[in-house]
Amino acid sequence: MALRGLEMARYLPLIARFVAQNLKSRLAYPADFWTGLASDLVHQAANLVFILVVFQHAPSLHGWRREEVVFIYGYFLVPFAVFHATAANLWDFADRYVVRGEFDRVLTRPLPSLLQVFLETMELESLLGAVTGVAAMAWAGRALGLDWRLADLAIFPVLVAGGVAIYYGIFIALAAVAFWTDSRTGLIPLLWNLNAYGRYPVDIYSRRLRFVFTWVLPLAFVGFFPAAYFLRRGAWGWYAALTPAVGALVLAFGVAVWSAGVRRYRGAGS
Amino acid sequence: MAIIEARQLTKEFRKFKSRPGLAGAFRDLFTRRYETVRAVDAIDLTVEPGEVVGYIGPNGAGKSTTIKMLTGILVPTAGHLLVNGCVPHRERERFVRTIGVVFGQRSQLWWDIAVRESFRLLQRIYGVPDAEYRRRLDELAGVLELGDLLDVPVRKLSLGQRMRCELAAALLHGPSLLFLDEPTIGLDVVVKLRIRDFLREINARHGTTILLTTHDLADIEALCPRVVILDRGRILYDGALDAIRRDGQGLEEVVRAIYQGEAVGGGAGAGPGGRRVPELGGGRAAEGGSAVEPEGGRQYGAGGAG
Repeated sequence: MALRGLEMARYLPLIARFVAQNLKSRLAYPADFWTGLASDLVHQAANLVFILVVFQHAPSLHGWRREEVVFIYGYFLVPFAVFHATAANLWDFADRYVVRGEFDRVLTRPLPSLLQVFLETMELESLLGAVTGVAAMAWAGRALGLDWRLADLAIFPVLVAGGVAIYYGIFIALAAVAFWTDSRTGLIPLLWNLNAYGRYPVDIYSRRLRFVFTWVLPLAFVGFFPAAYFLRRGAWGWYAALTPAVGALVLAFGVAVWSAGVRRYRGAGS
Repeated sequence: MAIIEARQLTKEFRKFKSRPGLAGAFRDLFTRRYETVRAVDAIDLTVEPGEVVGYIGPNGAGKSTTIKMLTGILVPTAGHLLVNGCVPHRERERFVRTIGVVFGQRSQLWWDIAVRESFRLLQRIYGVPDAEYRRRLDELAGVLELGDLLDVPVRKLSLGQRMRCELAAALLHGPSLLFLDEPTIGLDVVVKLRIRDFLREINARHGTTILLTTHDLADIEALCPRVVILDRGRILYDGALDAIRRDGQGLEEVVRAIYQGEAVGGGAGAGPGGRRVPELGGGRAAEGGSAVEPEGGRQYGAGGAG
């Protein structure tokens, strides 16, 4: 793992270069850029309004107050924004790379194939979702009178990184399924909305679903558990300590599925 | 030492075989039938540094599959392969630094940014030092007359302009071996001529080895002293271009005759440096199976057709 980390550090200047170029090419189509931005904002506003409307009819949800649920959603928006902005290319990976054969070109370049796919298209305007999220957290945290500790400043990015890693792992694995099927759309457009399950208190779901979102598709580690930690909801908050480990595990799984898929694509057995 | 050395190189694919009719399609949902197709069938190919080789054959002959093995994209089913001193698929990232690849149907460049910026990204990807990069870009831009194109986004280039940029992009890291898969497809005559001139020039100036697949035999006549003719995964002819040209007969007709399994050239058919593969059109008898173990070579999983 440490070796992997070092290897990635070698690519940092290259990644920075690609980030800049992606931003530039997004700005080459100002209309797309602004509509992307606006639609993200509308989406986030609609989700917030939905939460507020629900709480007009019930004072609390399984013991969760309105501000707490807004806080969880706000927190969730941060890892989701980072994921959405950087992994946009996984969305139509099946069609663009496998069906249309662009993956051949990827394999003729001296970079890891997964890194190339990430770098080639980004939707960096989606990062604005993180700003919305932080604003929602600030508002809710104030209303709840949350006590922030200095250590939280260091813990926050670690938990966010863990959450992003979980999304990466899940969606890399789903994208890699394209190496085995000849389907044009792939699984990701079907399953994209799974991400919504990470942003509500996990105890509103049935026991079975709770188990699934904790230990099978560990989406609760992306938004809910870390947010519960900052809300000082002891029982759930403790799970947050596992977020980095779960992130590393799920990401490793995704990369393993990817590698197996690439081996298959290149016709090396299986 | 040879720059490309392939012995008994073979690639098989498992192809899904669909049943006819609606009922058949329904049955396919549950039990799929596969058949093994041998796209490249135990070919031997040796290319020396500085050669320009035309690799031709009808659609489905196995040209692209060969190129994909030689460039490290596909892993061979069987056989021995060494390109630029590497086993292409095994050390992919190290190997691809030493080659340039142009797929005529596909772009190496980023659609929305200026050509120059695509080039800069490629420079970073290949880790080309600044001074070397500038020198190469100057040279390539000069010979290909890229001048004004460098600041245009790729999406605004015509096909011919784009192809000139593609060639430059493939050579920025100074590869000693260049693979061109139908580089002149869809181009007008003027651009074709310019590209041929360019390829001749880099071959002469830098000794760049070129392997070219094309359906345009005029490309071959203009560029390739040596041709390799492939059909149904097997090499039908490998030798000097001159040796198969008959008096008063166009290359087109000669090649068509070879595809159809007729005898090649006059006399022995093996002109200077030419080598005719025995039993033209006579099936597989002459070469036996593909299970010949190459000596000292790397044998991949036998992966037979059965």
